[in-house]
Amino acid sequence: MLAKTEQWSDMSEQHKQQAGHDEYLWQGSGKPDAEIQRLEQALEEFRATSLVPPAFPVIDYAPGRSAWWLAITSNIWVPRFAAAILTLAAFTIALVLSLSESPSPGGNGWSVELTEAQADSSLTAGKPKRKMQMQVGEAFETDRISKANIAVADIGRLELEPMTRLRLLQSAAGRKRIALDRGTIHVAIWAPPGEFVVDTPSAVAVDLGCMYTLSIEENGNGLLRTTLGWVGFQSNGHESFIPAGAAAATYAESGPGLPFFEDASGLFRSAISRFDSAKEGSAQRTAAQQVILRLARPRDGLTLWHLLSRVSPVDRQAVYERLSALIPPPAGTTREGILRLDRTMLDSWWNALDFGDIGLWRHWERSWTGHEAQQK
Amino acid sequence: MQSTLDFGPRVLEHLLVTEAQAGLHDSDATFVRAAQQGDTEAFGQLYRRYARMVHGILLGRVRHVEVEDLVQEVFLRALPRVRELRDTSRFGSWLATIARNLAVDYYRRSQTRPERPDEACDPDEQPAKFNVSSNGEAAEILECIRSLPEAYRETLILRLVEGMTGPEIAAKTGLSPGSVRVNLHRGMNQLRQKLAHGELRNASVSKNRTMV
Repeated sequence: MLAKTEQWSDMSEQHKQQAGHDEYLWQGSGKPDAEIQRLEQALEEFRATSLVPPAFPVIDYAPGRSAWWLAITSNIWVPRFAAAILTLAAFTIALVLSLSESPSPGGNGWSVELTEAQADSSLTAGKPKRKMQMQVGEAFETDRISKANIAVADIGRLELEPMTRLRLLQSAAGRKRIALDRGTIHVAIWAPPGEFVVDTPSAVAVDLGCMYTLSIEENGNGLLRTTLGWVGFQSNGHESFIPAGAAAATYAESGPGLPFFEDASGLFRSAISRFDSAKEGSAQRTAAQQVILRLARPRDGLTLWHLLSRVSPVDRQAVYERLSALIPPPAGTTREGILRLDRTMLDSWWNALDFGDIGLWRHWERSWTGHEAQQK
Repeated sequence: MQSTLDFGPRVLEHLLVTEAQAGLHDSDATFVRAAQQGDTEAFGQLYRRYARMVHGILLGRVRHVEVEDLVQEVFLRALPRVRELRDTSRFGSWLATIARNLAVDYYRRSQTRPERPDEACDPDEQPAKFNVSSNGEAAEILECIRSLPEAYRETLILRLVEGMTGPEIAAKTGLSPGSVRVNLHRGMNQLRQKLAHGELRNASVSKNRTMV
């Protein structure tokens, strides 16, 4: 009986190992399969090295004009008549708008428009309607199937996905601030960098001239993905800078995670996720760090630069070596300075990565303070 | 209020690896629609997202030295046709089909018979211990993968060479996650068998006849 129990125990262990190996084959997580790792390393030389698109020719998709269209437009009076109609229509619209639109109370309200209005989407104290004004101190949320557009004063636009709740904290000249409690917003801002800020339960997102999407879950964790420009993500002394094409998670307990380019391999991204969620000093975190260093491309200097300040001084040396190999530090930057996390040298190296001028961020840090914006 | 997302540590990892891909489909569709209007910048974004997949598909079929050029050719073929794509969420599978067809055309154009990959990987030879230590051996491993059935070959190359995860392969190629998982599992088993049956010992004699 004992022998049989041991046999079952062995089988169970084998089953666990096999399951772990399958998980590694499936998504590069779980117990690493040494044989597959060797294959990956050997075959790495065949991997796509350049993902930079060539200069694509401009394709003219416009359909050819039909005979009836040519017949109409060739009549000299038709364009003149059309121009007169358009001018009259423009005057009429302008007149209607000037008569119908009243200035928003306080002058700093943001106009909200429901794109798929539902009965339970409303301002906190208002009734459901398709267009409304949102004032400082008010909250707005969409239900399960509603979406909404919000004009951010005259500096940008927010698109809210269903199940999103946000509050307007500040709308002063040069300073706009909201709190995203949960849900997903798509942000497009054309104001100077640093003017628009989003508070989340786990980090503060600062627009540095861009478009991005920010998702926040009930537990405060979330994900920020930048489409254009770059975004600063900050909490508890952790800073993450996320340029176009990159993303970063944020965690309620630890704040912003490592940013990464979304075209990185799944194994690389998976390792970042494991690094972010593992405890400092844990074996899992160390293993994930090794994978990150091994798989990093020059473009992933973004991730390695952030990694410098999130590892122990001992591990920092390996990160420095790898980042130096991918993107040499600029003149005036020393190994010793980087290893002791000299701010000026780190900033200099960041600028050498060419993802954005970190001076914009430092300026924002000086001009804004943590909860200053809670007051209008 | 019930949430649609759960960012627990495990799920967040899943999100980063897989759901981010699903999320990409939203923006993929946006880029596809923009490309359909003639926006070459948007098409460039699609290139960045799918070049790795196309590279992997081609690598399973044509000589390595030709792949980089053919990747660009795939996209240049796709560009004028992208307007014909009705379901923008199917861009990945549509592009994969173009890549596979281009590989076929490549051989028709060159009028050459591709080396049978399994010629470099003879399972009847005496078993040898699997060892990976040199570039020549890496080329032979690639040949062994190429000798596998097509479904396994493509999935394994995307996983082992291009570094894509299973969920990512599914999201990009349009295959179901279940199919990808099965292909990976069975393909890996077959590859292990081949590698354990004498393939790497041929490195010195097969360098001139492999298509790498």
